[in-house]
Formats: sequence, C-alpha cells, structure tokens
Amino acid sequence: MAVPVSNEERLFSLVLALLATETGLTKADVLSSVQGYRQRYRPGGNNASLERQFERDKEDVRDLGVPLESIELPADQGASQYTRYRIPKGAYDLPADVTFTPQEIALLNLAALAWREGSLSGESRRALMKLRSLGIDSDEPLLGYAPRLRARDAAFDPLSGAIERHHVVRFGYLKPGDTQTRRRQLAPHALVQFGGRWHVHGTDQRSGEPRTFLLSRIVGPVEETSIEFPAPEGDPAADALASLREETARNVAQVTVQPGSDAAARLGRRAESADDGRLTLHYTDLQVLADELASFGPEVLVHEPAALVAAVRERLEAVAAAHGGTDG
Amino acid sequence: MADAQPQRVQDRLAFLLALVPYLLDNDGVSVGQAAAHFHVPEQRIREAVELIAVSGVPGDSRQYQHGDLFDIDWDRFETDDEIAITHQVAIDDSPRFSAREAAALIAGLQYLSALPENADRATIATLTAKLTRAAATTPAAVGVEGEADDRLGLVRSAIADSAVLRFDYLNGRGLREERAVEPLRVESVDESWYLRAWDRSRSALRTFRLDRMAEVRIDPDARSERPDDLELPERIFQPSKQDLTVVIELAEAAVPLLADYLGDRPVLEPTKRRGWVRTRLRISHLHGLKRLVTQRSGLVQVIEPEEARRTVADWAAAGAARYR
Repeated sequence: MAVPVSNEERLFSLVLALLATETGLTKADVLSSVQGYRQRYRPGGNNASLERQFERDKEDVRDLGVPLESIELPADQGASQYTRYRIPKGAYDLPADVTFTPQEIALLNLAALAWREGSLSGESRRALMKLRSLGIDSDEPLLGYAPRLRARDAAFDPLSGAIERHHVVRFGYLKPGDTQTRRRQLAPHALVQFGGRWHVHGTDQRSGEPRTFLLSRIVGPVEETSIEFPAPEGDPAADALASLREETARNVAQVTVQPGSDAAARLGRRAESADDGRLTLHYTDLQVLADELASFGPEVLVHEPAALVAAVRERLEAVAAAHGGTDG
Repeated sequence: MADAQPQRVQDRLAFLLALVPYLLDNDGVSVGQAAAHFHVPEQRIREAVELIAVSGVPGDSRQYQHGDLFDIDWDRFETDDEIAITHQVAIDDSPRFSAREAAALIAGLQYLSALPENADRATIATLTAKLTRAAATTPAAVGVEGEADDRLGLVRSAIADSAVLRFDYLNGRGLREERAVEPLRVESVDESWYLRAWDRSRSALRTFRLDRMAEVRIDPDARSERPDDLELPERIFQPSKQDLTVVIELAEAAVPLLADYLGDRPVLEPTKRRGWVRTRLRISHLHGLKRLVTQRSGLVQVIEPEEARRTVADWAAAGAARYR
C-alpha cells in the first residue's frame, strides 16, 4: 500500500506544479498528475471528494497571498472542465526591488510583536517567516520589549477581510448612550485605532454618508454580504484618522474637578487648565466622554457644552434611580 | 527563543515556500544556522528539507522523474548536517505577503511609531510603502494613532534596565501612597496605559494605571528581589482571594463591554427583563465597582450585596446632586 501523502506535501506540490506551467493545468490535469491527488484519482470514476479537496486547497493557497489564477478561454466560458489554473511567477515572486535593511527588519520584528492575540498575531508571524526567507539578519531589537496591541474585538477579523474584498457588511451596533442594539449596513473602508479604541470607517449604506463606528460597540457577529462597492480613493486610513482628529479638535468640553481626586489625576493629564480652575478637554464622541465623566461621580462638574452636561446628569440620575429602591 | 510551533497546514506550506529561496541563497548552510535564522527547532528544518528534497513537478512524463524533483547533497546533509540544494525546480524567489500579512505588519508599525523612541516617521512611511508593494493584493487600510503618556519613556527604560521604580500612587480607594516596584510590562487597554509590576512591599504582582502615578523616578540603589520564576499571567486584571463577589444584571448587548472583568466564559443566567442577564462579578473593592457601573449607565445594575448597591447609588446620587 502506498504511504499516504501529507496535506503539507500535497499543497506544496500543487504550488510547484502551478508555478511550473505556462499555459495552466485543468482540474483533471491536477487531479490525475499532481502528488497527493493522483494517488487518490480514479480515471473515469467519481472524483467528487477529490474535487472538493482541490477547491479547499485553492482557497488555502490563495489565503497565503499566492496568486493562483483561473483562466477561462472565451470559447469555453461556463464549462468548468476547461478552466485552467496557474500561478504566474511574476505575481508570485516578491518584487526584486523590494529589499530591507537589517535595521528595517528589526523594526518589522517589533511590529509583528505588537500583536498579542487574535488572528493578526498569526498573520504577523507568517509575514516574519516570509521576511526571514530573504536571509537578512536583523539588528538587535531596538528594545527588550514592546507594549502590545490588542485586537480583542471579535469584529476586527471579519471587518478587515471585508475591507480587502470590498464587501458591504451588516452588524448590530450599540451606540454609546443607547441601550438598544440597531442594525447597521456599512461599506467598510478602513480600520483605525484612535484614542486607544478601534474604529471602522466607511459609508453607511442607508444614509450614504461617511460614518465611524467603535468596534467595542459592535454586538454579535459581523455578516459579510456579497454586495461589492468600489474601492475608496486615496488613503482611507489616513483620511479616517484625519477626520477623527478634526472632530476631536472641534469638540471642546469644560469641566472642574475636585483637587486630589482620581478625576484630577486622570483628566488633569489630558486637559488644558485655565486660571479659574476649569479644565478644557477635547473629545471624539460626546456619549463616550459622558460615560467616562459619569464614572467620576461627584469628582467632576461639567460646565459645557450643554448637551454633555445633560448627558452626564442623565446618566448619574439613571444609575441613582436604578440603585435607589430598597428591594434592589 | 523558538517561535510557537505553527499548527496549521497553511503555516507549514508557507514555511516550505520561505525556506527554499533561503536555502538557495545560502548554499551549504548548517541546519543549526537555518533553525536559528527562522526561529524554529532544528528538527523542523530537517523534516522540511527531507520533504523538499523529494518534491517537484509532474514534468512531461507526469511521473515525477528524477529531473523534475528538487535534489540535495544527501551525504553532506546526513553526515555534516549541512544543506546544499543541487537541483531546483519552479521556485527561486521569496513569496509575496498576503494582504492580511502586510496589513498586520503595517498596523504594528503604526503602533510603534506612536511611541516616543520610534518616532522616526520617515522610516515607517518607507516600510509601509514597501510592504504594500510586496503584498499580493492591496492590504486592508489599517491606521493607528497612538497617544503616548509622558511617564512612558521612564517606565520603559526602567524595564529595559531591570531597575526599581518609585512613585506616588493614587489607588482605587482614593489614597496616595509611595510604591516601590519592579516593572515588567507596559500594556494599553482602550485609552489607558497600565504598568504590570512586582510590588516589593506586597511581594506580589500588581497592575498600576500610569495616569495615577506621580513623581515617578528610578531608584538607582535598589536591587531586584522578585522571584526568578515569576510568570506574568496573560490577563491584566487578576482575581485575588480578597475579591468581593457582586451579583449584577446587565443588558446582553453590554456583555462584551465588561469582558475584561467577566472573564472568558461568564455564567449568564436569564432574568425577567427581556434582553438582560444575571451574572457574578469579582471586584477588588467597591470604589472600583461604583465607577464601573456609573460608566455604563442603563446597561448594568447591581443586585447584591446591599452594601454594593448602596455604594453605587450614593456615588451616582452625589454626582447628580452637583447639577441641582
């Protein structure tokens, strides 16, 4: 009996075979001749499970960034048995003019370390493996450690996939200040971390307006639709950060804090203080700031804007009311 | 140190595709050198080389004839533990990054660029452009704008030098005290920076908020006294024996917002209120609880014990009273 071929060997053989062909191989060529398939191929028989294996393998290979193409000749359109598969060498190879210095490699090593959890830590590790393939020795790391980036928000992965594929997404969103989740439909353009929080920026499909959502407020799974949208122009991440920055510069709150309190220690750091003891705070989202200021209870008094005063007061009164009854 | 052993078959394939061009460029490299370069155990290099050496393309005969396969100098491999590829097929160059791989590194770079010691924006921009060009398809747009805390530089250098830090700390109960710690790691959660450190007076691991630290300085004379086998747990908020247990009800939608406090698999029981669940929360003191609940107004309610409920009510009422 033949020794079974490992999944690793089958995938490696598939990549080699498709790289070596100029004109492409049909599915029948692959199944009947490539190592790992040919052992299980039954000429003239039913190869349905092997065909499904080939479909999964193609996806696994493409996931790694390998440009596996399918070519249909115009005359054969719709007849999948004539589809030819290949990996064009030029699109597979790292461009020859992309090189990295030892210092750059050291920086990229640190950048990969920045991811602590979630699948992006796996992606970074794989990217490092590919970098090492260039054989460049790294300088000593610039530091013994790096603070870690967390993409703990479950929405991060599905959103980054949808951004790459330009697919509209649907999700439930608990808007800060609300207690009910609402469904949203968004053409996602960029994921940005601003003020320590991850945001997704895109075009709201209902209003047609640009919108930014906090990932931590996305409730339940993110559903990727098959609705495509045109790729955004320019640098959407930079644009999203710029608009958050502008928003923050525009939004100004005035508060006073009790001296020596937790609020004084924590807000004092972020604020500009005036002679009359008032602190000026910039904020991105009024409701998020209201949540934070409410947590300081009597340590903070909000003066402006009126909407923030109302939001903080409302929160404190609601908590007092919910906890005031004798029977809980 | 070896990286964690990749488990998925895709990772193993990526490793083979990365290893081949490295071996071609480094003819006769020893197994030990290759293992060190890729941060993997030597055995993994040997297994990969053995697989590469019998792999190839179907060829004209579609029979994987000798000339269609990679070959290596087997004597050298088996006797000297050195790798020399003597025949090569199909690949010679490093593969491109996938869009997600490039995006992960770009986001990491942007994160680093927010820290004071990596503020070399030009290098970061050059690298971002290179990674984008080296990716198979356009990476998802990811951007990070960090906010550095001015205490960060000092804390980080203390970690690098294994120095002892002293500072005045305003603890969660509102009391100031001087602490002497051996700093281990700085972490960020949402907008806040935390220092995880060995607290010398309590002989235990503790987590400190950077924004509650004042008068931070390095103690040049103190020597490390923490245990050598100290392991830093992954979770930043660790339960302790002195914790209080509080029963709360919360809107189901708010469960992820409390993930850091509830643990990975909180036990959630149904309640009479639609869309609300009941669970237990472990907290270190009621001062923390009152802030936690008032920050999530309308989403969280303390049920018992009575003292906890009253502490929250008093805190919120005192806050609201300032507006009357």
